[in-house]
Order: sequence, then structure tokens, then C-alpha cells
Amino acid sequence: MAVPALFRTGQSATRAHEEVGEPPIWLLLLLSPTDDAATDGDMSSGDSPPSNTSLYSEGEKVLAYHGPRIYEAKVQKVELRKKEFRYFLHYLGWNKNWDEWVSVDRLMKCTDENRLKQRALEKGYVEKSSKSGRSAQAKPKNLNDARVEKEDHKNNVVAAPKGKKRKNDSGTKDNQSVEKVIKIQIPSTLRKQLVDDWEFVTQQDKLVKLPRSPTVDDILTKYLEYRSKRDGTITDSLGEVLKGIRCYFDKALPVLLLYNKERDQYHKLVVDDVSPSTVYGAEHLLRLFVKLPELLAYVNIEDETQIRLHQKLLDFLKFLQKNQSTFFVSAYEGCKGTEGKGKSKND
Amino acid sequence: MESGGKGREEEQDGISVHSPCKAPPSSASSLPKEHPQIELELKLLQALEIYPLVKLQGIHRHFVLFGLMEFLRRSFDRQFSSDEVLQLLDRFYNLEMLKPDDEEMEILNHEEDFCLPQTFFVKEES
Repeated sequence: MAVPALFRTGQSATRAHEEVGEPPIWLLLLLSPTDDAATDGDMSSGDSPPSNTSLYSEGEKVLAYHGPRIYEAKVQKVELRKKEFRYFLHYLGWNKNWDEWVSVDRLMKCTDENRLKQRALEKGYVEKSSKSGRSAQAKPKNLNDARVEKEDHKNNVVAAPKGKKRKNDSGTKDNQSVEKVIKIQIPSTLRKQLVDDWEFVTQQDKLVKLPRSPTVDDILTKYLEYRSKRDGTITDSLGEVLKGIRCYFDKALPVLLLYNKERDQYHKLVVDDVSPSTVYGAEHLLRLFVKLPELLAYVNIEDETQIRLHQKLLDFLKFLQKNQSTFFVSAYEGCKGTEGKGKSKND
Repeated sequence: MESGGKGREEEQDGISVHSPCKAPPSSASSLPKEHPQIELELKLLQALEIYPLVKLQGIHRHFVLFGLMEFLRRSFDRQFSSDEVLQLLDRFYNLEMLKPDDEEMEILNHEEDFCLPQTFFVKEES
């Protein structure tokens, strides 16, 4: 089970730590907020929290739940709303775009016991992620230039397994992912195309008839033409991106993009200096997009540039989608030479 | 750092791809004159901290170049062609001498069967 992102999009942030996966019972018991009112002296008044006195005060450093983890935060503001205290938090070491209003049940005093809880969550989640916490990918990033590079937060950040895609939310805050991996959202009809592709090859023993027309090369060229007509100009930057895709495709095809059953076909057809982008077509190009985040993870790219890159890739996918019926084959060929005419899905 | 000019052998320690002293083509430079050369070069060197030179030779080179182009575009608020950027780089480094990063060989070393992630098989809400 993949580790959830630091900030689970689309879900209520309160009590999110209970929604995430199945922490062991002992962890749940450890994590239930304890009333530490009596221990630290930072409270504004009294020991027990009467209904009209806040448990935490402005400027106080606290530990706060956010998603499945606990972070150090500072209370910026305290307000009483509808008989309930609300606290505006700034997470220490994080960009202020993460600042938010929370209710008291998200907060804990900065005691040793609570820090133990913080550690426990850290450990639990670091183990689950595909790499250990100190992966090179775990550097938190944000959109406002102020790179957060504090050591302790490097450890706290959950490194998403490479290549994991998530739905992109439209909210600006939700796009500030701490993952380094570019998320590429593949349109749903193309996702279905990939499932059909899987079905044909792995379940029905069929293959894409090669060489294809249009080839990957053709498609990339058509896209460039399409863009230049649409925009009246082509920028070099788009050109580089497309060259990059072709380059990845040629190198990655035999290594990452083939189902086992396709290897024979590959070895027969792609010999000597033949480049895969002149033989294969949209079906395999689409598979590249599944792997693209992984490949791009090896390149350090600035946030702003990542966003532009993502836009370009998305636009390209939309182009594929628009031309789905002409770019993709509707039927694959049976291994024994029987052509699958028309729809070959098992109905 | 010394400003632009000839005779740079001493400048770039440890960079083996440093090209031998080359006189920059005088008026052959297609770089626009509105920014002093030195500014361009400085920005480029800044950019190289993010987009390491060594990656300009491997499979990621187009995306690295894209990153450089975008960096300069934002710094000077105009488009840079890939040629311009390569030309700028060429003043400092002999790009042909670059050997691809070892790290990049990692992902391509292990042949694996393509595997469609589970999430594709699940119907997504909206």
C-alpha cells in the first residue's frame, strides 16, 4: 500500500490521521491526544481548560497533527468561534502557504511524551514508503522560492514512491506537493486505453501490429505542427521537451515499456540502428507517460519549470486523446497470425 | 570570478571538460546585445547549479536544457533558443567531452516488464 501524500487532497484535514491506513492498535492508543494541561507552563491561564479560556496561546509552540503526521507549529492567532477555540497555525520550517486554522483537537503541548508520538508516526510511515526517509527525493518543495531545507523536515517528509500519480486538485495549495515527483494526470479515456492495451497483450496474447503508422516520431511531429498552427509560433522550449520525450522513448522502450510477451517481436524488428520511435506508435508512447514521472525524478527541476513542463505534457496528452481513434489501433493481432478485426474485447 | 575574456584555463578548477582558451566569435555571436555578456554568463553559471552540466550529455539532456532555457527566460524575461543556450555554454565548456552521469545508467540498467499500476484498474470518482 503506497504511503499517502503529506497533505491528503480533498479530505478534511482534521482527524485525517485516523483515516489513513491501519495503524497498529498500540499506535492508536499512544496517539490519542492526552490532556497535558498540567505539565508545561505555557498556558495562558489555569490548568484545566474552562470553556472560555484557550488551552493554547498566541505565539505558543505546539505539536500539531497534519494528515497522518505530527509537526511543530506556532500558534499565530487564537479566536473563539461558535463557542469553540480556533487556532491559526504556522508550521515551523514550512512555507506560510501551509498556514491554516485548526481546532483544538489537532493540537498537543510540546511535551516529551508528545514528541514520542511524533517520532512514532515518523517511523511508522518512513518504513512504509518505498525508500527510507533520507531518500534524495525527499526534499520538500514549495512554490514560493523559499526552499525549505531544514534537516528535521527532510526526515519528516514522506517520499512518495516514485512514479505514483495522484489526482491534481485545482486548489493552489494542494498543488504544492512535497514530493519531488512530477505528477502526470493521464486523461480518463487514455487510462482506459492503457487498460485495454494490458488486456490485449497480457490476457489475450495479442500484439500490436508493427511497424505502426503513425509512429511515435510522426505523432510528435504532428503535435508540433498542431501547436504551431494554433499558436502561430513554436517555441524552442516545446521542441526540447518533445525531443526529450523521443529520447526517453528510444532508450526506455526495451527496458521499461514492454510486456514480456512483446519481447520477441521487439528483437525481431528493432535491429541494428533502428530507433523504436520509428517503429512503435501511440500504444507504447502512452506507456512512456506512465513511467515519465520516474524518469524525470532523476532530473532536478525547479518548481516553476516543473509546472510549465507539466502543462506541456498535459497538453500533449490531450492531443493524443483528441486523436485517439486515429492514433491508436482498435484491435491487436493474435499471436498465431489471426488478425483481430473489429473489436476484439471479450464481451 | 573573472569576467569574460580569453585565457580562462585557471578559472574552472576541477572541471575537466573545460575547453582550451577560445576567442569568442566576435560579431558572430547571435546573442542579443541588450544584456551585457557578463550578466548572461553569470546567470548561466547560476543555472548550472541547478542543472548540472554533466546531465547535458545523457538521456535527460533535453529536459536539462529545457530547465536552463526556462531559467534564463525568467531571468531576462525573453525567450532563449536552445542554440543560444548551447552557445553560451560552449564559451565555458567543451560539451562533447562530457561523459554521462553514472546515476543515469541506473534506471536503464535493469530491464523490467512494463507493469500498469493498480490505480488504472480502479474506477476513479470524477
